[in-house]
Amino acid sequence: MLEQLLIFTRGGLILWTCKEIGNALKGSPIDTLIRSCLLEERSGEVSFNYGAYTLKWTFHNDLGLVFVAVYQRILQLLYVDDLLCMVKESFSEVYDPKVMSYDEFDERFRQLRMEAEARGEEMRKVKVKVKPLNGVKKQGKVLKPEGGNKKESDGDGGDGGDEVKGNVSSLTNGNHKMEDDDDCVVNGKENSGGDDNNVGVDVSKLAKLRSKGVRGRGGLRKAESVGSNKGSSKVEPPKKATKKNRVWDDAAPKQQEKLDFTDSVDENGGNDSVEVAADQGESMMDKEEVLSSESESDDDEQRSDEKPEAKKKGWFSSVFQSITGKANLERTDLEPALKALKERLMTKNVAEEIAEKLCESVEASLEGKKLASFTRISSTVQGAMEEALIRILTPRRSIDIMRDVHAAKEQRRPYVVVFVGVNGVGKSTNLAKVAYWLQQHKVSVMMAACDTFRSGAVEQLRTHARRLQIPIFEKGYEKDPAVVAKEAIQEATRNGSDVVLVDTAGRMQDNEPLMRALSKLINLNKPDLVLFVGEALVGNDAVDQLSKFNQKLSDLSTSGNSRLIDGILLTKFDTIDDKVGAALSMVYISGAPVMFVGCGQSYTDLKQLNVKAIVKTLLK
Amino acid sequence: MEKLEDLKIVAEQWWNQGIEYLQKIPPNQLYAAIGVLLFTTVLLLLSFRLVRRTKSNTVLLSGLTGSGKTVLFYQLRDGSSHQGTVTSMEPNEGTFIFHTENSKKGKIKPVHLVDVPGHSRLRPKLEEFLPQAAAIVFVVDALEFLPNCRAASEYLYDILTNANVVKKKIPVLLCCNKTDKLTAHTKEFIRKQMEKEIEKLRASRSAVSTADIANDFTIGIEGEVFSFSHCGNKVTVAEASGLNGETVQIQDFIREYIKP
Repeated sequence: MLEQLLIFTRGGLILWTCKEIGNALKGSPIDTLIRSCLLEERSGEVSFNYGAYTLKWTFHNDLGLVFVAVYQRILQLLYVDDLLCMVKESFSEVYDPKVMSYDEFDERFRQLRMEAEARGEEMRKVKVKVKPLNGVKKQGKVLKPEGGNKKESDGDGGDGGDEVKGNVSSLTNGNHKMEDDDDCVVNGKENSGGDDNNVGVDVSKLAKLRSKGVRGRGGLRKAESVGSNKGSSKVEPPKKATKKNRVWDDAAPKQQEKLDFTDSVDENGGNDSVEVAADQGESMMDKEEVLSSESESDDDEQRSDEKPEAKKKGWFSSVFQSITGKANLERTDLEPALKALKERLMTKNVAEEIAEKLCESVEASLEGKKLASFTRISSTVQGAMEEALIRILTPRRSIDIMRDVHAAKEQRRPYVVVFVGVNGVGKSTNLAKVAYWLQQHKVSVMMAACDTFRSGAVEQLRTHARRLQIPIFEKGYEKDPAVVAKEAIQEATRNGSDVVLVDTAGRMQDNEPLMRALSKLINLNKPDLVLFVGEALVGNDAVDQLSKFNQKLSDLSTSGNSRLIDGILLTKFDTIDDKVGAALSMVYISGAPVMFVGCGQSYTDLKQLNVKAIVKTLLK
Repeated sequence: MEKLEDLKIVAEQWWNQGIEYLQKIPPNQLYAAIGVLLFTTVLLLLSFRLVRRTKSNTVLLSGLTGSGKTVLFYQLRDGSSHQGTVTSMEPNEGTFIFHTENSKKGKIKPVHLVDVPGHSRLRPKLEEFLPQAAAIVFVVDALEFLPNCRAASEYLYDILTNANVVKKKIPVLLCCNKTDKLTAHTKEFIRKQMEKEIEKLRASRSAVSTADIANDFTIGIEGEVFSFSHCGNKVTVAEASGLNGETVQIQDFIREYIKP
C-alpha cells in the first residue's frame, strides 16, 4: 500500500504530494534518504530502507526533479517502479518552473496509479501461474489467494490484493523474491548492494552466490580458507613432540646459539642507548601541500593516444553532436564513457564493487540531461564524476581533532582514541606518529598498550614512549584488553593527561571471538574516536574489512546507540605511487572521513588527506 | 595692453588659418572625423559608468542544514513557502524584488538571492558564490540551537575568515530563524553563545602552526575576548520566522546594501 509519493526539486522545494493518501510519515524518511543515500552517491541503488518504510526514487535530470515513493517494507509492491516512470513522464509535460502548485495533477495521478496497480496485478497473476513453486508450500494455498485477488481487485485499488500478496510472498519467500529480482522493472538495475538492503533471506543470498559467482563474498571464502589452515595446523603438533632447529646446508652449526639477540637490559631500559626523539622537525601534518598544476590538455592527448583505433565515424558524429548539443543523454550514450571511467578507476586500485556503484550513481544523475553545446559526452561524464568524488571525500563532519581535545579538556576528562584494524597495517607505528604530532601542539599524551597478544607489542610501544618521553600504561601480556584500557583511562584522569591513545591487537574481520572482544572494549570504555587503520595497498578487501568491522560493532553493541568507525587512518601511502583508490573505497563504504595519512616510517610522516589532489590522481 | 592686443592679432591670424585649412578638406571626411570623435567620447562615458556600477546585487543565504534557508528564500520571493521543503541538494538562485515590495510603484532594483545548501558535503558550493557576494545572511536555527552550536560557529568562523569576505568587508547578518516557536532562544543569547564558541575556535585554530591554518585570516583583536564588533566587516543580528513570513528584518538588511 503506497504510503506517499512526493515530487520535489533538487533545490529542496516540494512541488506535489499525493493528497489522497494523507498519511503522515513517521520520522523524516525523505530527509534521511537525501542525506544518507543521494548525497552519498548511492543514487544508483534500487531502494532505501528507513524504519518500517521502503523508499524508491527516480530522477528527471533535465528539469532537476526527484520523484520518491514511500511504502511499507513488508509489502513488496511490484508496480512502484512502473508508477514512478509513468508519473515522471506525465509530470514533465505539466511542469513549468514558474508554477509552484500542481493541483490538477491529482486526477492524473489517480488514473496512473490505477493503471499501474492493475498492471502489477496482472504481472503477479501471470507469475503465480507460470512459475511453479518448488514444494515450499502447497498448491492449495496458492489457489486461495488467487481467488481472493479476483474478488477484491475491483475494490479499493488493490488494498486487499496487496495484503494477501504479502502473505503469498512471505510463504514463497526465497523463490518469489528472486523472481522479483529477475523480472525487475523499467528503471531498476539490479545490483547486489541494493538487494542487501531488503529483508535478508538466506535462500536468496545463496542463489545470488550461485548466479553471480563469489564477487563480494571474498570474506566467506577467506573464512573457509582460514578454517582449513587452522585445521591443518592442528594436525601437525601431535606428530612432533619437540621442535628441532632446522640445519641449513650453508650455515655453520655453531651459529645456532647466537640466535637470541635480546639485550640483557632489564625492562626499564638503559639510559645510555636511548635517543630522545624530541625534535625531529615539524610533523608533515602541519605543512601545506604544493599542488602541481597540470593542464587538462595533457589528459586529452593521453586519451587520444591510447585509442588511436577509435572509429572515425564515431568520432566525427560525436564532434558534430558536441557542437550542436544533442537533445538528451541516453543510457546508451553514457555507457562507453562510464565503462572507460570505471576501468580507469579500477586501475587506480579502487575496489570493483565501489567503482561499479559510483558509475551507476553518476549515470543516474546524468540520464536525461541535455548536453551543453561544445562539450563532449566524455567531458560531461568526467565532470560529473569529479564532482561526485569530491563530494564523497569531503568529510561529513569536522575533523578538527584539536577542537575535540580542547572540548574534552574543559570537561576534565581525557580524549580517548582507539586504533583498530587487521594485522600488520601499522597501528602501533602510526599511533606513535599521532602521539608525536599531538605532543608538538602541547597536548599531553598517554599510551595504553592493550595489544596483549602479539609478542613484542608492549616492548614496541615502550620504546616509542621512551623516545617521545610520554607515559605509557601497560599490564604485560595475556590480560583482558578491555580492562587494561579502562584502567588506563582512570590513570589518565588521575594524572591529568589530555589524550589517551589505545593500541589494540590486529584481527581479521571474520574472526568472531576477536571481534566480540573488540566490541567489548569499545562498549566498556566508550572512546571519543574509533580510528580504523587501513593500509593503502589493500585492494578489494578494504570493502569487506570495513563493512564487517562496522557490522560487528553495531551488532554486538550493548547500549542503544552503537559506536561505529568514526575515522580512517590510511597508512603506507608512500608505497603507492598514484594508485590511491583505497582511500575512495574505504570512505565510500563506511562514510567515515580520512583523518590522517601515514606516508613513511619516521615520526614526522603523517599528513592530512588532500581531496583535490586525490581526485585529480584518480581521474588522470 | 599692447601684449594683449598682439596676442589677439596672433590668435586671429591662427583662427583664420585654421578656417582656411578646414575649408580645404572635403566635407565627407570632415563629417566622418566628427562622427568618430563623437562615438569614442560616448563609448568612454559609458564605460566609465559601467566601471563605477560593478557593485553586485548578490546576497547569499547560508547556514547549517535544516536551519530554514529554502523556506526563507521562497518567503522572500513569493510570500509563502508553498507545500514545504526537504534538504536541498543544489543551490536555489533567483533575481527578483521582494514579494512585499510588489505593491510599490516605480522601478526597484531586483536582488539576486542565492540559497546555498547547508549540508556539509556541499560546503564547496559556498566558495563558488562568495566572490560575487555583496552581503551574506547566515541563518541559525533558534529552536535547536544548542546541539548545533559548535557546528554553526565553525561554519560562521570559516565564512568570517574567508579571504573574499575579509578583503571586501562583506557585511554579515546573523539571522535567528524559527522565532515563532515558544522555546526558541533570543537573539542576544545566540549572539553571546556564538561569540563564545568563536573565541574557543580562535584559540584552538591558532594553536596549530602557521602553515596549517585552514583559514586565510584570523579575526578579532589579540588578547581580547572575541566580539562581533571586532570584525572588519559589519556583523549584525536579527530575528525571523520563515513559516510565519516575518522576514522584515532580513529585507531591511538586504535593502541597506542593495539600494532599491
